[in-house]
Amino acid sequence: MKQQYHFPENLYSDIRIQESYSTNLGMYNGELTRDNATSNVGALVRVYDGKLWYTSSVNDLEKIQDELDALAKLATPNENIYEDPAIKLLEVNVDERLQYTGEKFLGNIARSRFLTVLNHYVDACIDPEYPDMTSWSISVGGDYEKKSFYSSKGCAVAWDYQLCSLNVYMSFGNNGEPMGGGKNFFGMMPEDLYGHEQEFLSERDRLVDYIANAVDVEPGEYTCILSPITTAMFAHESFGHKSEADFMLNDKTLRDEWVMGKKVGSELVSICDSGDMPNHGYVPYDDEGTRARENWLIKEGVLTGRLHDSNSAAVLGEELTGNSRAQDYRMRPLVRMTNTFMKGGTDSFDDIIADTKDGIYVYMVSNGTGNSTFVLNPVICYRIRDGKICEPLRVRMVTGSVFQTLFDIDRVGSDFELFDTYYCGKLGQGARVSAGGPTIRVKKLQVS
Amino acid sequence: MAAIKEKHGTHCEVNTMSYEENKPKAFERLNLDESSYRVYEDGKVGIFHCIGTVSDEEGYAKAQADPERARPYPFSPEAGSTRVRDLSETEFSAGELMALAEEYMKYLTDNYPQFTFSGKFTTTRQTDTFTNDLGADYSNSDASVGVGIMFKHKDSKNIMDGDFEFNMRTPDDGTKFREMADLYLGKWDTAAEIPEDVILDMQYYGFADSLVSELDAEEMSLGNSRLSGKLGEKVFADSFTLEHDATDKESWYTRFWDGEGCVIPGDKLLLIENGVIKIGYSDKRVADKYGVPHTKTAGRNFGDLTYPGGMNVRIRRSDKTIRELLDGRCAVIPIDYTRSQLDQKGDMTIVINSSLLWDGDKVIGRLPEFKVKTNFYDIFGKDFLGVGSDNPATYHDKQMLLRVERV
Repeated sequence: MKQQYHFPENLYSDIRIQESYSTNLGMYNGELTRDNATSNVGALVRVYDGKLWYTSSVNDLEKIQDELDALAKLATPNENIYEDPAIKLLEVNVDERLQYTGEKFLGNIARSRFLTVLNHYVDACIDPEYPDMTSWSISVGGDYEKKSFYSSKGCAVAWDYQLCSLNVYMSFGNNGEPMGGGKNFFGMMPEDLYGHEQEFLSERDRLVDYIANAVDVEPGEYTCILSPITTAMFAHESFGHKSEADFMLNDKTLRDEWVMGKKVGSELVSICDSGDMPNHGYVPYDDEGTRARENWLIKEGVLTGRLHDSNSAAVLGEELTGNSRAQDYRMRPLVRMTNTFMKGGTDSFDDIIADTKDGIYVYMVSNGTGNSTFVLNPVICYRIRDGKICEPLRVRMVTGSVFQTLFDIDRVGSDFELFDTYYCGKLGQGARVSAGGPTIRVKKLQVS
Repeated sequence: MAAIKEKHGTHCEVNTMSYEENKPKAFERLNLDESSYRVYEDGKVGIFHCIGTVSDEEGYAKAQADPERARPYPFSPEAGSTRVRDLSETEFSAGELMALAEEYMKYLTDNYPQFTFSGKFTTTRQTDTFTNDLGADYSNSDASVGVGIMFKHKDSKNIMDGDFEFNMRTPDDGTKFREMADLYLGKWDTAAEIPEDVILDMQYYGFADSLVSELDAEEMSLGNSRLSGKLGEKVFADSFTLEHDATDKESWYTRFWDGEGCVIPGDKLLLIENGVIKIGYSDKRVADKYGVPHTKTAGRNFGDLTYPGGMNVRIRRSDKTIRELLDGRCAVIPIDYTRSQLDQKGDMTIVINSSLLWDGDKVIGRLPEFKVKTNFYDIFGKDFLGVGSDNPATYHDKQMLLRVERV
């Protein structure tokens, strides 16, 4: 890694270059409606004088030095800038982790390989005469991203990430009450996407049964069993965002509430975030050049960590965690999650169901939010009676207090799964993340 | 037939001054270009999506460089003339932006010390263009100053308690900002009681988006829409009229041409009139495939073929002000809330974590958490109370009154 920029004196500055490539083929009811490939290059240049960050986004990499010089003129030189607590913390890593070069690089993968995958799933999963089906779609594609980061402290790192994805989806008009559903599958290369045909067909059959037989839930308080994808949503949306330390810098109430060592949940609960896993939240070096760590946020019910950028770590007097991330080169970084998951336990799914006399199984959710009261929006739920999964239920919302729910988790399954489906939003910026968890049981949640 | 060249472009310049926990954090600037070069020939179109800049010669060459990806396009590209629209009203320098941010943040911290604030103050100037070999030469420019404030009470255990935002083409003397800040923050510590009949005063973007997705002519034709088979039927309230309006001054950076370069005569398309479904929207592909009217509402897609969409809808205003529509009743202004998706039957639940009660003139106090429910057909049907003729300080634009059922 060799950097070619002249950094201005008496200021901290860094340069983040992002190169990306994406391709997508999409078929809707047998017609190829999407067929595209786009590449994108740009850079964010930052200068800091100890009081204010000055940033500029450019598409033309030839302009980086000019932008750096122009921003330096706006800033006030500060000969003690490297004594600034946040700047002092910044790491000086020098590394290159480029995994997707040559024939592995998405841009060098022939379009025909994606088209073959698409056509295979059309043949294997789509029956145009399937009763009551009104439309279907299959899309296959991939995203590649390479980041290079250089700082005036001497940090110089580069890394890349690539993911191919497949989505199979069906819609049912259902006499004016339309509903659809499908599955996403992921892999590093197009050929990794084969082998999920039966998973989709099972999901289709579940959806058809749900549409035909679902009944309205009687609103109230229930014991809820959350599927792994629901637990993942809870871990990310409902708890994870509270661990992002940029919201509590000088806030005494939140700092007192989230003090390290405090018991915040059942001893069955452990939640971790790590950018160093080869999943959708892979960020081996964050957008300040900080190396990724395994950050345990809760260990056996005790608060043990939170997520930082250099500023929040400096203000709170804690270690860097590698969670300073920007959506792309047009944005400055914020504290963001990466791969966030609740650790699996020892109970089997069957045992958890069998041990539940009366409750609701939240099988699939579309999205969730998390303030003090968190909300999960389910898609498919089932009634549980006498230890058995019974009729499908229409549930619009599952809500609860985050603080209480963490204590109310009393069974944790061994069926841990990590889902690469997610993009997370915060302050107008999206970020690719993954989220994971096992089946869990919560003693009581509000269901409506 | 000779190849026809076409170029879609966007140039955007943004300056942002941001504050975090009451303190200045960053000054950011962004200057970006994005283009789509398209070459039509023999019923196909080659497309090159460029982020950044290239010469036109290179852009068109790249659009023709990959015949394998050339897309079928059995339609005529759109002929046109020259039309230039500039909606911008004023220049606003980086220095003026910083001064405005400082003044507004000072107002907040001086008057509401029990809160902490994060703020984003932005100037945006954008120009969109469309040109082709058939004489079309369109341009739309717009510029705005945007203010977005997030606030948190110092005693609150929430990450953030609420936010308010607005855009202006010409900044005023600060009146709008102070009115909005006072409305949202002035009675935060005063408890109010949830009224028996709950009327929400909300911006209608999210609700309108749900409705617009059901008016996609392709989905209506396939039976995937709640409005399939209901063309010409009265489905919603007499007082409810929805139209696509490319002249709407309460929208920003809108274009008067669609993703295929088509221009609607008068720049407006009536979708629902007095509750009656008039038309589903389409692009050329959908109109041809399903035999439905071509409404000239293709979504712009720089990297690929268009899709039906790209709508800029607004609900026709009532003759009455919000206060007159309330007719002595109070409304709830949700501050922190989550909506469920519409379920199979079109039902929706809204969890309102925090909200304000107001009488159309002044805020009475803050309400505790509660839940309400509504239904797709009722939102713009029996429970639609109207869009006021005015814009009180509750929101910058596009606010509607909606009766909901408490659960």
